[in-house]
Parts: sequence; structure tokens; C-alpha cells
Amino acid sequence: MVDGACLELVGKHETSREGEAEAERALIRRAQRGDRSAFDTLVRRYDQEVLRMTLRMVRSEEEAQDLYQEVFLKVYRSLGQFRLEARFSTWLYRVVTNVCVDHLRQQKSRSEVPARAGADGELDYARALADDRPGLNPEQALRAREISRRLEVALRQLSPRERMVFELKHCQGMKLRAIGELCGTSEEAAKNSLFRAVQKLRQDLSDLV
Amino acid sequence: MNCDDLEKTSSLYLYDELGAEDRAAFETHLASCGGCRTRLEEARRLHRVLSACPRPEPTPELLVRCRQALDEALDREQLGWRGLLRGWMWQFGAAPAPRLAAVLTLLLFGFGLGWTLRPRARSLAPLTPSGTTSPFGASDLGDVRIRHISEVAPDPQSGGVRITLDAERRVTLEGSLDDPRIRQVLVDTVRGYDNPGIRRDTLDALRTHRDNPSVRAALLYALRHDANAGLRLEALKTVRGMQWGPDVHQALLGALEHDANPGVRVAAVDALVEHAVEEGEDETVMPVLLKLAASEQNPYVRLQCLAAVRKMEGNEQ
Repeated sequence: MVDGACLELVGKHETSREGEAEAERALIRRAQRGDRSAFDTLVRRYDQEVLRMTLRMVRSEEEAQDLYQEVFLKVYRSLGQFRLEARFSTWLYRVVTNVCVDHLRQQKSRSEVPARAGADGELDYARALADDRPGLNPEQALRAREISRRLEVALRQLSPRERMVFELKHCQGMKLRAIGELCGTSEEAAKNSLFRAVQKLRQDLSDLV
Repeated sequence: MNCDDLEKTSSLYLYDELGAEDRAAFETHLASCGGCRTRLEEARRLHRVLSACPRPEPTPELLVRCRQALDEALDREQLGWRGLLRGWMWQFGAAPAPRLAAVLTLLLFGFGLGWTLRPRARSLAPLTPSGTTSPFGASDLGDVRIRHISEVAPDPQSGGVRITLDAERRVTLEGSLDDPRIRQVLVDTVRGYDNPGIRRDTLDALRTHRDNPSVRAALLYALRHDANAGLRLEALKTVRGMQWGPDVHQALLGALEHDANPGVRVAAVDALVEHAVEEGEDETVMPVLLKLAASEQNPYVRLQCLAAVRKMEGNEQ
């Protein structure tokens, strides 16, 4: 008989924060010297979060996979320039931000609408939506799907920067100061981007409110 | 604070981004302004709608695909010019700028030297010690690549020269896997060739003869030992279709328990469970699944083992 506690996702074993940071620096040093297994270990620590961020930005598994690879190849190629006194996660997520924003800018300039409809007409990213709310009746489920579709359309109207700030704030819950740092701007600029994003979304979704 | 500030401030308020002083000023204004309270309530409703939308979460399958693709891309990166350059740079251990300058200088020098000394196969005239042309005629030199020259000995008496060299010739083999020579080349490639792309193509080629003894052994070897997780997974897919035997069973159990890649381990779970459900054998599989479902560190593997246990228990009933 299997204990139901197995269903809980295990967290990392907690050592002291400083010990963890030093262990990570040692790992980075080894990776910088060409130790591939050290780099793979570093990737495994962060890649789920990176994939989550890219998927939420582009809402397509295929594109998220491409961006995931682009991020980690950039990290691999430029790891030698990373200064160990800086925080690796900040540096990594800045790469993610830049890659995602560049991708969205290219999409906008090509006016490309990624072909995402599945065989049954559903947007394929919807398969990735973690809609695990129990007891959602069919009508509620239909409304939820419609809101998601409208939200995706509305998000595409945002500029790449606005979208990035909105996703990082609304979905990831990051503080605007940290968002500004990731995006290479000030906290004030991040606030303005968030404000513009919310205004545009309110205009596009006013009938749903 | 006045009503004009409210629109921007309400977004920051709902996202808990206001400092203590601004928050207090905002709430003081709200207490006395019905219009602003109404607008805040509209903003709150929008916030609830946005928060209620399910957020895309990467599936375990997507994560495994991403990891495999990255693994292969990094393999190519390591074998490419960037990887070689990076390796040299770390060997020199110099600071980045002089390191780069040193490497570029060496590259240019080496390229220039190599270009000057490049073997001109057609101009060589191999001679036997007696001075006559060797059986290894000039026409053979067209597709020969000279790897190393260990001696060039001019003979002043005859005016000729003796050259001792190591050479390799490109050979193309064509045929079916029924030809043991072709099969042997492929088996050796899977076991030891360092290019993962070639190993992958070789695994594809071997699929049709997976139950041939030497091919079977090579595929099981690849499942156990290939350095590339994507290729171990490819080997596993072929092994899964083999005639089941103790060697296949042990190789899959070994992959489940010991492979470094969770995607390979989960594929091993699927293969073992499928066989156990079809053939009704789970004396060795169930204990391993139970152990991993209870104590495996990787949550994805643990959940898959748990699901497999349930499936097998359901099948017994």
C-alpha cells in the first residue's frame, strides 16, 4: 500500500542559504571549466521554471521548446563571462526575458500568427493549461476557456515589454523592482509598462468584467 | 492623492506594490470618494478575471522533450568549432581578452601553416625500395587522405624519394543488414563511435534486425551505456519491440533504477508495465515500482511509478 504523502511534490532538502550559494558557485566554476555534467546539473535546477516562463509568454509548446533551447545555449556559450559574485538566477532570468522579448518582437514585426489550432480546433496550448479546479461544471469550463482565448488575443496586443512585465508580475508574482532589473530598466519604467498593459487589457476585456 | 492618480495607483495597490505611506494615502482617499471606490471595484473585478484564467504549466512530457533536445544541441555544440575553441581557452587559463587574441593568432598561424603544408596527394610518386612504382598506384591516391607522414627519405643515387605515411581511404558500403560486414560496422558504430548523430542514424538502421544476436547485444549496450540520453531513449524504444528475454528485462529494470535521465526512466516504466500487464508477470517489476513510488527523489519519476503501481494493481483485480 502506497502512502498518500507520495503525492506531494518533494521540495529541495534545505541547507543553509550561504552553503547553497557556495555549492552553486562551485558548480558554476566547474561548468565554466567545461564540465558538462556540472552544466547539466545547473540546467536541471532551473529549467522547469525557465520552461514555465517561456510557455506563459508564447503559449505554444513548440515555441516554448525553441526558446528554452535558445536560453540554455546562450547560457552555455556565455557562462565563461558570468561573474561568480553575481546571482546566477538573476542572470539566467535576464537571458530568458531578453530571448522572450526578442521573440515577441520578431513575431510582431512579421505579423505572424503561430498556427496553433489542433485537429479539433482547440488552441493547442490549452492542453498545457493547469485547470485543475475540481467541480468545474461544463458551463463554467466553457466560460473559462472563452476567457482564456480572449485573454490570449488581448495579450498579443501588448508590446513585448508590456507583455513581459505583465506576465512576470501577474503570473510569476515578481516585484516590480526585480522585474525592472531583469528587463534592464528601472522600477518606474516597469510600473509604467504594467499600468499600460492593465489599461489595454481592461479595454479589450471590459465586457467580461 | 487625487482622483486622477487613482487609475495608476489602483493597479499598484491591487498588486501590492505600494509603499506603506502611499498605501495609507490611497486608502484615506478611498474612504471619502465613492467614485474612486467604484473604479477600484471595477479594477478588482478585472484582476479577478485575469487571476482566474488557468496558467499554462509545462507537462512532464514537454520537459523531457526539451531536455533531450537540449542534450543533443549541447553535444553538437561541444563537437563544433565553438566547443573546441572553448576547450582551448580553458586550457590556456588566460584572461578572456588575451586568451581570445592568443587563440585567434594560433588559429591563423595554424591555418596558414596547414595550407602551406597541405598534402598534395596527386603529386606524390610512391616508389618501392628498388625505385619502381609500387602496386599502390597514383590512381589510388585520388581518394586517399594522408593522416601522418613519418619519413621522407630522398635517395640521391636514384633521384627518387621514399615516403612513409599513414593514410586512410573513404569507403562506401551499401547493402542490407543481412550482410554480416555491414551489420558488424553498424554494431561497432553503436558501441563506440563518438558522433551522436551517426549513432542515432545507426540505431535507426539496426531497428529492422533487432532480434539478430549481435544487433540485440549492441542495442542493449546502447540502452545501458550511451552517453547521450536521447540515444538511450531511442535504443529503449527499439528494445521494447524485441523478443522479450531476461536480458531485455534486466536492461529495462536497470534503466528504470539507474539511468541519469528521468525521461529514459519513465519510458522504462512504460515498457515494463506494458509487458507485465500483457504477460501477467510482475514478480520483479512491482517491488521496484513500489520502492521508487515511496522513495524516489525525482518527483516526475516517482509519480509515474505510483501511476504504474495503480495500473498493475487494477489489472490484477
